[in-house]
Amino acid sequence: MGVTCVCQVPVAEGKSVQQTVDMLHKKLEQLGSVKQGSFCVDCETYHATGNVGQPSKLLYVMHNSETPLSCMSLFEGGPCLVADANFDALMSKLKSHFQNAKGHKVESRGSRYRYCDFLIKVGTVTMSSSARGISVEVEYCPCVVPGDCWNLMKEFMQSFLGTSVPELPSVFAAKPEGLFAAADCVDTMTQYLELFNKLRKLQIPGSNVR
Amino acid sequence: MEAPPVTVMPVTGGAINMMEYLLQGSVLDQALESLLHRLRGLCDNMEPETFTDHELVYLLKGQQGNPFILRARRSLSHPNAPWHLRYLGQPEVGDKSRHALVRNCVDVAASQSLPDFLNEMGFRMDHEFVASGHIFRKGAMKVVVSKVSRILVPGNTENTERMSLSYLVELSILAPAGQDTVSEDMRSFAEQLKPLIHLEKIDPSKQRH
Repeated sequence: MGVTCVCQVPVAEGKSVQQTVDMLHKKLEQLGSVKQGSFCVDCETYHATGNVGQPSKLLYVMHNSETPLSCMSLFEGGPCLVADANFDALMSKLKSHFQNAKGHKVESRGSRYRYCDFLIKVGTVTMSSSARGISVEVEYCPCVVPGDCWNLMKEFMQSFLGTSVPELPSVFAAKPEGLFAAADCVDTMTQYLELFNKLRKLQIPGSNVR
Repeated sequence: MEAPPVTVMPVTGGAINMMEYLLQGSVLDQALESLLHRLRGLCDNMEPETFTDHELVYLLKGQQGNPFILRARRSLSHPNAPWHLRYLGQPEVGDKSRHALVRNCVDVAASQSLPDFLNEMGFRMDHEFVASGHIFRKGAMKVVVSKVSRILVPGNTENTERMSLSYLVELSILAPAGQDTVSEDMRSFAEQLKPLIHLEKIDPSKQRH
């Protein structure tokens, strides 16, 4: 587990989501990356059904194929829990207190590439089987301190993302020890959650639904 | 760095339903040594294992029905080990000839942020205690001999007071639903511990006031 940066890549002008993803794959292969399997990150949303009149708290339960035996649960802006896969079984026991908003499940699936010490995952983000956007996750495996490797990661991302290179993820700057606190899987999932929530709010391109 | 396997259908909530089969009893402090000696002889040969755990019981009050209970347990002797979160269902009613108490059980290992996370979910801590003692294994069976202590100041596990002059003894097995033969194995093991201790099926709902 190294330092990860998750960002959104806009769909290229005049191209479809799949075509943009293919373009990214081509650039990565030209750089010398090797395809190594596939990945999937998903997020389910639960509403707390307890309090009437109060805004319902949203609980996000996420899975990452990179850590298949774990389950990460987050409250946006609140505490997060890393638990084993049985946490899903526990959530189904809590059905009467926490309802699963089935239509809100978001997932990002795609190919996993390795380039030396970097792992790059280009995924198509889908919600209810409709593609909403593209996520790119870059992980620099040897280092766990963002402050020590951010410049290197940014330079690497420029080589295939061009102008879509993101800024330093806010999740690292927001910690009390700042950029020198060790990164962990919760930071990765927080970034995916921010991306998923942003894409969830976007209207489906071409639809007239308001 | 090989890619971990990716299942096409995500595995959510479809885990095998595990059931806990339980027999309980108690021995007075004076009889502890004889019991430990008997258990060392009957159980699997291994280094004697002692434990000191801090357990917190959380309740989530819903709009109707009984509150949802979750038990969060951490080891005081291994502070960096994960928390153990446990859900225990209602005891299965029915076959009175069944020798052990059977209830649905979900065990989850969780990170150090568990208490804060449970509070955020709406759970409130109802009570906490410290349990310390010995643990033995025989095949799939687990025998736990523990002294339960009351915590005098909330959150302070140093300052505890023993609740009784005896040790609680629990014989349990975790098995998938439907394997009723395990209660036979438990009954025959319990026979071997008589008359030192009588392990019985004790229905927790009958203990409520």
